[in-house]
Amino acid sequence: MAITSDEDLRSLELPSETPMGQPLDWAWLRGARSEWGMKPVPGPRGLTMMDIATGSYGEIEEEPQFRSMAPRGSDIDENTPDMGYILNHKSQVWADNVIELYEEAVARQWSSTRDIPWGDLRELPSDIEHAMCQLCTVLTEIEMIATDLPAKWMWRMNHHFLEAKMFLSTQIMDEARHSDVFRKRALANGGGLLVSRAGSESLLRTILEAKTYTQASALLHLLGEGFILDIFRQGELIAPTPVEKKIFRLSMQDEARHVAYGTMHIRQAIAGDPDVEAEIHEALDHGEKVFAEFGTQPDLSSALAVLLAGGVEHIEERGFPMQSTMATKIFTSYLARCERAGLNRIDRTSLPLDLLGIDRDQFTREGVRPTKERGEDGLRH
Amino acid sequence: MAYVTELRYYQELAALMNAHPEDYEVLGEVDLNLGLVMTGQAADLRVKLQFEGLGCTEVSALEEGGEHSCDCWLEGDLEAWGEMFDDILVNGMATGRKTVNSLTLLGDRIDIRANDPLGKDLFFRFNQTVQQFLDGAAELEQSVV
Repeated sequence: MAITSDEDLRSLELPSETPMGQPLDWAWLRGARSEWGMKPVPGPRGLTMMDIATGSYGEIEEEPQFRSMAPRGSDIDENTPDMGYILNHKSQVWADNVIELYEEAVARQWSSTRDIPWGDLRELPSDIEHAMCQLCTVLTEIEMIATDLPAKWMWRMNHHFLEAKMFLSTQIMDEARHSDVFRKRALANGGGLLVSRAGSESLLRTILEAKTYTQASALLHLLGEGFILDIFRQGELIAPTPVEKKIFRLSMQDEARHVAYGTMHIRQAIAGDPDVEAEIHEALDHGEKVFAEFGTQPDLSSALAVLLAGGVEHIEERGFPMQSTMATKIFTSYLARCERAGLNRIDRTSLPLDLLGIDRDQFTREGVRPTKERGEDGLRH
Repeated sequence: MAYVTELRYYQELAALMNAHPEDYEVLGEVDLNLGLVMTGQAADLRVKLQFEGLGCTEVSALEEGGEHSCDCWLEGDLEAWGEMFDDILVNGMATGRKTVNSLTLLGDRIDIRANDPLGKDLFFRFNQTVQQFLDGAAELEQSVV
């Protein structure tokens, strides 16, 4: 007899135990307290997580009833064990763009082995090769913080917020790839890894030891990754060959997703609990100081200046002015993102805005207009 | 033959992208509403490009100020745009300081703008797809200002 309806299922006589005497549970077949027959429709690009976020499956509760790994939308045992999650409120992990960001991340993965034209590397002047290797040393060191930090918190996040954990998993993959690609570049052209200074480690430790996930996210996604995003953008100016250009361009796309998550997560966190704003400010007060030390540490800034200048001989007339112009852009973007996240940092920051050429009074949500005039070469001198 | 100052030019670029989605597959799907603003001629050109999935689903003209309805927009003088397209024609793709990422980095000739920092970040998230779309100019019959 073909089973064609739920009515047929309910009328079936089914065994209550196996021939070995073990009990059988047929609730999954007739009577699960979950939605049946949703049938989401695939879009032009396939079946996305947005497509299946439908009905109760797409309802993200502010504070889920359970603290287990049971899938959201399923019929969950009342006595399901508590997994010890400590991030059980939506605003503690969620961002309104996180499902789309997950799909985007999956669609835009790349391979450092396959997609970088390593064969196009060519011998470079020694100062340029050294500077690129030093930059790659710093980058391969600091990129892994963006894997370790989410990994530290993910197992503490309620599984109800599955898509946030899935997105953070893509971030972990992205950052592993960044660490990999910069390590490869350091070695691939006959150079190698150069110096690792304490300043980098202090920054990483500050991020890793943040007291809450949201504080950590502010330090990592808004401050740290925002800075690195702009360094990757500078790849257009500092890359000596198309190989590095490709590395920086592809890495930039990844980094921008992480920043987009962080911006919206912080916004969500503040909306969910206004008291969180003070905690984030406190974290950024400290983070900006450590970050300023990191950004100006002598090895990183000298290597960047040499790359921006195209060689040590042009560092003063071109490297430093270019670096100053880029610093204005970096902190302009950071302050604008903070504002978008619901944080007014412009009136609180201890960053040297005057030195950076940023005028508090000229602040707009889009950005902060530079106060210093540029020279004919487009740079601030 | 279409000119870079004409809407039809961008429609041809979109047709090229839509005819070869496989070329964009390695970069992945896109969701971006991008404006292009070219100033400096009698009537400025404002174009809206709607990217969805692996295609460009809409190319339309924008009124003055209409770019504010886009996620973000690239704005610069026609001369700078012309130099960028010339570079694409000569090299088969934008090179050196003529990529949109390079040009917008300093932002003195062509700048990236948005009403929302997240809109601007979309340009960075989908940057290589936008560049590949513009590089399609090398395959059009001709693109002169």
